[in-house]
Amino acid sequence: MIFDVGHLLLITALLLAIFGVVVAFWGGHTRNVKLVASSFNAVYATFALVALAAVILWYGLLGDHFELSYVWNHSEIALPNFYKFAALWGGQAGSLLFWVLILTAFGTAVALQNRNKHQVLMPYVNGVLMFTSVFFLTLLVFAASPFERVAFVPADGQGLNPLLQNYWMVIHPVMLYLGYVGLAVPFAFAGAALISRKLDNEWVRTVRRWTLIPWLFLSLGIIMGSQWAYMELGWGGYWAWDPVENASFLPWLTATAFLHSIIIQEQRGILKVWNMVLIWATYFLVILGTFTTRSGVLESVHAFARSNVGVYFLVFLIIVVFSFLYLLFTRLPLLKAEQPIDSYMSREAAFLANNWVFAAIAFATLWGTFFPMFSELLTGQRISVAAPFFNKVNGPLFMLLVILMGVGPLMGWRHTSAASLRKQFVWPLIAMVVIGVVTYFVGRSIFASLGLAVLAFAAATIVQEYVRGLMARRATTNENYLVAMGNLWRRNGRRYGGYLVHLSIVMIGVAVVGNEFYQQTTNVTLARGEVVQLGGFDIEFGGMRVENESNRDVYAAQVTIFDTDSGKQLGEIAPSRNVYFKTPDMPTSEVGLRMTPIQDVYVVLNGWDDTGNSATFTIYINPLTMWMWIGGLVLMLGTLIASWPSPTRRRSETFSAVAYATGD
Amino acid sequence: MSLDPLLTGDPLLTDDTLLPAEGPQKRSVYIWQGAIVLVLLLLFAGLGFQLWRTNHAEQRAAGSAPAFTVTTFDGETISSADLLGKGVVLNFWASWCDPCREEADLLQANWERERENGIVFVGLDYLDQEPAALAYMEEFGITYPSGQDLQSNAARRYGIKGVPETFFINPEGAITEIVIGPITGQARMDTLLDEIRPVQ
Amino acid sequence: MIESSHSRQDMQYRQFGMHRHAYAAMRKQSGVRALVVALAVATALWAALAARPLLAQNVDPTPIPAQEPAAAAGTPVSANDINAVARQLWCPLCSGVRLDACELKACAQMKDEIGIMLGQGTQVQEIKDIFVNRYGPQVLGEPPRSGFNWLAWALPFIVLVGGGVYLYTRARAMGREPNPAPSVAAAPTSEYDRKLDAELKQYD
Repeated sequence: MIFDVGHLLLITALLLAIFGVVVAFWGGHTRNVKLVASSFNAVYATFALVALAAVILWYGLLGDHFELSYVWNHSEIALPNFYKFAALWGGQAGSLLFWVLILTAFGTAVALQNRNKHQVLMPYVNGVLMFTSVFFLTLLVFAASPFERVAFVPADGQGLNPLLQNYWMVIHPVMLYLGYVGLAVPFAFAGAALISRKLDNEWVRTVRRWTLIPWLFLSLGIIMGSQWAYMELGWGGYWAWDPVENASFLPWLTATAFLHSIIIQEQRGILKVWNMVLIWATYFLVILGTFTTRSGVLESVHAFARSNVGVYFLVFLIIVVFSFLYLLFTRLPLLKAEQPIDSYMSREAAFLANNWVFAAIAFATLWGTFFPMFSELLTGQRISVAAPFFNKVNGPLFMLLVILMGVGPLMGWRHTSAASLRKQFVWPLIAMVVIGVVTYFVGRSIFASLGLAVLAFAAATIVQEYVRGLMARRATTNENYLVAMGNLWRRNGRRYGGYLVHLSIVMIGVAVVGNEFYQQTTNVTLARGEVVQLGGFDIEFGGMRVENESNRDVYAAQVTIFDTDSGKQLGEIAPSRNVYFKTPDMPTSEVGLRMTPIQDVYVVLNGWDDTGNSATFTIYINPLTMWMWIGGLVLMLGTLIASWPSPTRRRSETFSAVAYATGD
Repeated sequence: MSLDPLLTGDPLLTDDTLLPAEGPQKRSVYIWQGAIVLVLLLLFAGLGFQLWRTNHAEQRAAGSAPAFTVTTFDGETISSADLLGKGVVLNFWASWCDPCREEADLLQANWERERENGIVFVGLDYLDQEPAALAYMEEFGITYPSGQDLQSNAARRYGIKGVPETFFINPEGAITEIVIGPITGQARMDTLLDEIRPVQ
Repeated sequence: MIESSHSRQDMQYRQFGMHRHAYAAMRKQSGVRALVVALAVATALWAALAARPLLAQNVDPTPIPAQEPAAAAGTPVSANDINAVARQLWCPLCSGVRLDACELKACAQMKDEIGIMLGQGTQVQEIKDIFVNRYGPQVLGEPPRSGFNWLAWALPFIVLVGGGVYLYTRARAMGREPNPAPSVAAAPTSEYDRKLDAELKQYD
């Protein structure tokens, strides 16, 4: 009964969203105040209905109502409540519902924030966002209903996919969806600007923060996904360039490019068409990524079970693409650049180059992801495009990007004189050479040293900028360093928060180089009490132990790590295998990990004999990998600083046009 | 709620000076636009085709059997063209596949029974390792021709879902039945075989 | 409108303390140089990096002793020898899983067979060739460099260079033609930013 209500709520939400789209566009076009007001109300009401439907599904999951096909397929009585709650986004239909929930929540937040602002744009913003909701609600009502019943009432469910029963796997999709869905907001503003022909900088200024926040979620989602892969998949790495991973990375690339290029549009009035294309591409890639992971078009370990949502997605994609192109082509004359680029030795030129490389990486990634499909269609041969391809093609491009990341802040707007350049480049170049040479003598890998040298260069420019900023503040205000730093962040958050994000990218780069080039590995079978030596560590196997939990058995090996030279005990870890009662042939792996900023000892339990007297392990030493997670934290901090409303800026919001354009 | 004055006089809409200058530039713009649209259409065509293929792979039955050539572990070369006029039981298998073991004896027994009746059994070994495959054949005493499906060429043409999967092909070279998973018993096997038995 | 844009440009020239033509020439030269250098560096780097197989699997800077492939027939083959080869291959049954990390029975058998081949003294490259021949190019994890599949490697490069050239010509054309769009005066910076910039200048 209650679940019929849930289904009914979704149908009502769909009808309401369709109504909302119509009144939004019509009201925007005829400038009818009442219609526009009703579009706002439709946004709020759709959110309320969808939220209610989600609550009902949660009720079904937590109350073990296995008469629902979704609950039966993705939950079981013995599943811990935490995972029952998370099962909402563990399967196709539920995650689509979760998606609409976030989308309508974002729509409501945007509507509330801008109820009395941007009167020309807002009706269309509501319209575009609600049009997206209409699509997803259509899926929920017609193709993948979470409230579908099974003919009988099963006694127990089939259980949640064991791979998803991990802490990171519970948050990671939430973050990813928040990022994915949130990026619809800047797209909606861009669409609104195109439709209304109000193509000045207004939409660009408004969406900066609305892009930064989803971008932060998307970044964190990707990093958490890597963390999950690192801890669970047990191959010593964190990123496999799998189609589903690429699907999350592609919109990140274009969104990052967009965040940079809107700065030039604000500052110099150029790249208007490009910005439109970038944010559209971001939205397109979000939908394309969702489509490919849910339709079985591309093969991937992470893909959802195949279902019939594919055709709907394809139709929606075609509508999105061609309506956008129509709008863009007809509005092209209104998007003329206001100012030329004055010099190639300028910050805007560096930004331009940055966008060029980002676009190239995005293209290479998209191309590589879909190439097997084209290749098989044309040659009949099945190939795979995995890490070897992407590392070779994207690796050098990323290096180029890091160089530009270092160069950009050293350039002034419009033009930089040769003398100033020389002065700016001295320290970073010294850092680059020193790090390059030192790491080469330590690590003996030319490519790793090249990468680290470039990263050192970028890091040094950031440090230099901070030092200059601190000195400048201290010279005027006599603050101590901490206060000066706080004030830099508070008053110039956009610039110095941005640098912090750059620094986090450098940290992640360091982790990538360390893991990719300096990794050591061995595969051993150890008897109880036996020791293996690797990378300066003695690793001892102390026996097996079994723990019985509500829905699984955990087989853990007791492993102790000692320092080879001093013989000192460094720590104990427990690499383990989880055998789930519902899927005993799919044991999941839990890596035993000892993390330090210098290197991780990473132990995978491959197997053991029945007596527990011997076990087989794959052991990796992963240098510097922890910096990826530290980088994630710094990235979060930097983005928050960069998007925090600054006191100066708030004061001048009245002539915001002027004030906003001055930020970095 | 009162609307902004901006709504009443949008300068961008009325300023004629902003409209594009007619000239040679125009054509290049159209060419670019056409190229972009074309590339996207190609992408969608590819996606659409791929989607159609993934969803319609089941509709393979009753078509004519795709051609295949296999070199058996004994070094003999068998091609589908040579088998016209005979009923063919084409079995995709692998030594690492546990369900394959359930039907292995059944396949061998029926091969021994039917080999004089114009029915040929052919095993296509899917993504397998030769030492393990030979051990598997030894274990079940398999004597019907069987060989590695190199580069999974046949598997792809037949669009198999996994192993085991068995195709029953009549003497005219048409697929009469596809069994996904192991064949469950002699009775089932008999019905399937009767459909491809050559008229004597 | 044209006038206003002229006067704005003139202001720039004054800022640089240069005659209009000298400025244009400098801008052109430094632009060409910078772009050519950037393109050349990028191309050279990329060509150098992409031309030869390089990443971790192949160029291991600190190989642990056991990882070196068994030299001759008859030497016992360890799990590490096998994994060193398996790291360079991709499971044909999975998507995007490296053979050494794959736990399927089929993968275990493949690793066993690699062990047998290594024991017979087969070289790593030969093993890879045998795998490609038997299972198809998908075991390589990258498109083979032949026929249509060259396009996988070439197109990103073509797009990168093509995009660079397009940007360069557009930026030049933009700089040359008289500016058609309304010129907005460069936005005055806020009080605070101006102060900070002034302070920063002192340090330059």
